[in-house]
Amino acid sequence: MTGWTPGRRGFLAGMLATGLAPRATWADAGAPAFLGAAADAAGGYALCGIGSALDIAFRIPLPGRGHAAATHPDRPLAVAFARRPGAFALVIDCAAGREVARLSAPEGRHFYGHGAFSSDGRWLYTTENVYDAGRGQIGVWDAEGGFARADEFDSGGVGPHDIRRLPGRETLVVANGGIETHPASGRAKLNIPFMRPNLSYIEDGQVIETIEPAPEHHKNSIRHLAVAGDGRVAFGAQWQGAAAQAPLVGFHTRGQAIEMAEPPADALRAMRDYVGSIAFSPDGAQVVATSPRGGVVQVYDARARRLSGALPLRDVSGVAASGGALVVSSGTGLLRRLDDGAERAAEGLRWDNHLVAL
Amino acid sequence: MKHLLLAALIALAPLPAAAQEDRQEIVDDVVQNHVLPRFETLAAQAQNLAQTAQADCKADSPVLRAAYGDAFDAWVAASHLRLGPTEVDDRAFALAFWPDSRGVTPRVLAGLIEEEDPIAFSPEDYADVSIAARGFYALEFLLYDERISSLGASGYRCALVRTVSGDIANLSAAILRGWREGYAETMTHPAPDGAYRDTGEALKALFQTLTTGLEFTIDLRLGRPLGTFDHPRPKRAEAWRSGRSARHVMLSLATLGDLAGRLAADAPALHMELDAAVARAAGRLADLDDPIFAGVSDPESRIRIEALQQMVIDIREMVRKDLGPDLGVSAGFNALDGD
Repeated sequence: MTGWTPGRRGFLAGMLATGLAPRATWADAGAPAFLGAAADAAGGYALCGIGSALDIAFRIPLPGRGHAAATHPDRPLAVAFARRPGAFALVIDCAAGREVARLSAPEGRHFYGHGAFSSDGRWLYTTENVYDAGRGQIGVWDAEGGFARADEFDSGGVGPHDIRRLPGRETLVVANGGIETHPASGRAKLNIPFMRPNLSYIEDGQVIETIEPAPEHHKNSIRHLAVAGDGRVAFGAQWQGAAAQAPLVGFHTRGQAIEMAEPPADALRAMRDYVGSIAFSPDGAQVVATSPRGGVVQVYDARARRLSGALPLRDVSGVAASGGALVVSSGTGLLRRLDDGAERAAEGLRWDNHLVAL
Repeated sequence: MKHLLLAALIALAPLPAAAQEDRQEIVDDVVQNHVLPRFETLAAQAQNLAQTAQADCKADSPVLRAAYGDAFDAWVAASHLRLGPTEVDDRAFALAFWPDSRGVTPRVLAGLIEEEDPIAFSPEDYADVSIAARGFYALEFLLYDERISSLGASGYRCALVRTVSGDIANLSAAILRGWREGYAETMTHPAPDGAYRDTGEALKALFQTLTTGLEFTIDLRLGRPLGTFDHPRPKRAEAWRSGRSARHVMLSLATLGDLAGRLAADAPALHMELDAAVARAAGRLADLDDPIFAGVSDPESRIRIEALQQMVIDIREMVRKDLGPDLGVSAGFNALDGD
């Protein structure tokens, strides 16, 4: 998907929506619990609001295949990113059902598909690749100023993918996947033998803590993050070495070492070296990791860091907890609540990569 | 939420026994007649390269260059088979670190030559050198690059040529040993506690070498020199210094065509379609008569190189949309191509 093009109209509409119109809230968008991007049967793409009863609260067309979305804390705004390496992201007013602004990555950068808002919703942070330099960067956009580019700073590593804000703070945590890519080589991974992923914490544009996997796991690309209410971070990795040689689910608390969950060999192999998404359960006691390649959901006890259960589910990738519900989504169109097993097959939709909690 | 409901274990319907046997035959055939012969040829040609370099290490030696070309051909024909023994100790990367988007290969080589680092006096020690200074692409610099092939003392460069060649031979021999002494058995005899639990998993892994091999040719061998219309990048073509860029595309079409044909053994119509598509692309490539894709910079010839790239994309789509489902190994919407 490369066809998202910027437009002046969207920018002007954005000014109107953010500056002059009375402020809508997520309740005006049907109070969804989750957002998910999807492909439909007609070859189109959409961003959907999903209720905790697995109902579709709204469905807004997207111009191409989506990845993740960043959601504004108060206003019903979602920033939908294209799949990497995308140069554009759309700011969508989910109450009005229309695009209100577009972000264009500055010259020489592209988005990785994830973003996060500051706690007051003023600033949007996006993970970006400064590809000629092979450097990871966080872009800052002003949500009160029509989403104009406001600032940028180093992500603390190569290939930043997911980004989250720690609860109750402005600290950002970034999964620097470590893999260098360049649009001139498509999606080819250019530095696998030398890659060094890390987890970086950033405050006021400065990296304040960086932690890497153990040296023998330097090919474990840290990509997706979940944050518990008390600030514990869980991450899902994608292993780039010989099959099933490294655990894929890790935990970190500021100032401490990375702790990997060590599942039994067959459970590790079942994940096919690939975690698609990761989420804490609403009470923070468990962590759920999905693998679309393995077609399996794994549940870990977050304290003991032990595998506590698994569920085979074809092409499962999205997982998020919201409104007391823990839901997974799959490329087959299925939504499933893990707490009571309730399911809904969304007619003709294929859920893409991530579910985003509101 | 102490107890997530995970009870609904969905057992996948097993394939009928006949289909299982057919799939096992395909895996056996690919391993015995596609994989092993390629690594045997690579090991033999790499051994010949190492011996030739011992006899004549001069960069412009025709015998040495011929031995280099034969061994590199053998690698390209096996390069998509990134499974098991190639992934141990980064052997495949050590044989072939490309693309080198940061120019690490010439930088490390120049450093070794200028310092006359003694690590270059033994292939065994050389295994500790940066991967970027090992393998076929490093040797290409030593034999064909104007600057590197004449840098520093000729005696040291000679030692480096012999050592890099010897290291290539060691790596190639180790990969072949890995396949003969275990991995061929692992793939053809899946077991519940093995790397492949059933035939379908082994078949899927072999199928994936086909799609990733096609993508390597589309995105890198063709995509890199094409660049964009405004910024064509002929000097990003693979192995242009030795004039091998188009040759590698031809070798990759031949070897991936062979693999596709074996995987489509039970689908004669698709087999013929794939053969025809590969032959069309090979014909188009031959018609270009442009060994290093210099034509990417000229709008008229560029369009023909783009057309060739599109033909390889079409082959990949045929493989994904027709062959994958046929074999029962098609990837899902999310499983297909990562994040």
